[in-house]
Amino acid sequence: MGVVYVVTSGKGGVGKTTTTANLGAGLAKMGKQVAMLDTDIGLRNLDVVLGLENRIVYDVVDVIQGRCRLKQALIKDKRFENMHLLPAAQTKDKTAVSEQQMVELINTLRPDFDYIIIDCPAGIEHGFKNAIAGADKAIVVTAPEVSAVRDADRIIGLLEAHGLGEPYLIINRIRPRMVQSGDMMSVEDMLEILAVDLLGIVPDDDSIVTSTNRGEPAVLDQFSKAGQAYRNITQRLCGAEVPLLDLTEKDGFFSRLKTLFASR
Amino acid sequence: MVRTEESIILIPDTALVQRTLRSGQRLKFNGNVLVLGDVNPGAEIIATGHVVIMGALRGVVHAGAEGDKTATVTALTLLPTQIRIASCITRPPDGLPAPDAYCPEVARLKGDEVVIEKYVVSK
Repeated sequence: MGVVYVVTSGKGGVGKTTTTANLGAGLAKMGKQVAMLDTDIGLRNLDVVLGLENRIVYDVVDVIQGRCRLKQALIKDKRFENMHLLPAAQTKDKTAVSEQQMVELINTLRPDFDYIIIDCPAGIEHGFKNAIAGADKAIVVTAPEVSAVRDADRIIGLLEAHGLGEPYLIINRIRPRMVQSGDMMSVEDMLEILAVDLLGIVPDDDSIVTSTNRGEPAVLDQFSKAGQAYRNITQRLCGAEVPLLDLTEKDGFFSRLKTLFASR
Repeated sequence: MVRTEESIILIPDTALVQRTLRSGQRLKFNGNVLVLGDVNPGAEIIATGHVVIMGALRGVVHAGAEGDKTATVTALTLLPTQIRIASCITRPPDGLPAPDAYCPEVARLKGDEVVIEKYVVSK
């Protein structure tokens, strides 16, 4: 029986879809049976980030309204046999699906997969309620911005009210230099307000932009620091204890020399 | 409200909140409110009596909401968005850097102004 995670944030643009894609690809790379479900009906993105847009024939609304079978709508990934995507509809809107239908859909998916990851739309309305309806556990994504933390706090409150208490937290888009100079909220500042379990931190990395545009999840890129962060997060999801990524910058020759001597 | 002495106030109703109030959560109560947790930015407490927060106050609190000018707001860390007591409204001064260490503080009305004082145990 699979575990169902919903990736949510409240605020838009903090990296829900990127996180979903990377967690899915990371888990698939570890050999798990993974299904990703895009519930952002009307504004689908997950297929693009995964580079699977051109394979879409049927979508989640077609499945729910009985126009096709679930197996027909599930897209098998081009890299991993064991990774699947159920895309959102682009031409309908969020009212095309009800919470009850979403729960039923997830329960049919559950026996065939180890992990089911739901990409939640921004906002706290109908689409959000649909996305969290069938989930076992929530992963809240936020960024080091006051407004993103405020929205994450609101979302955590709403998740608690819907029986999804104690969610995991992923802090995305950290710029270590700005944190060091005191111009950006630190991980500690954010945890003090949100007070939930930290699943991982992801640095703001140029490689994310290119990998997202190319449809290649960064988690598969051995040289990307954000990819490393997502690999750590997937390992933690599987129960491994991995220390948090050290984001302090050591790219200068002298500072590298210093750490070399310090380690002796 | 029955006042036995100046220092003991008997109000029959007190709400005990045993968790943190998060953004968007609002508690309106006829009486005192005691929070065992934080009050985060975007959360709001409206009480006709006193409000005591055993945690950090970062949101909005209205104490003495029906006009009780003796109502106070106490928190272990007082960093509110806004404090209202009876019909007076106050907010932290703009641009003041947050201090490095916090101590428990009390907000109360003196005249028509809300003053913040260090919380001292009355002996």
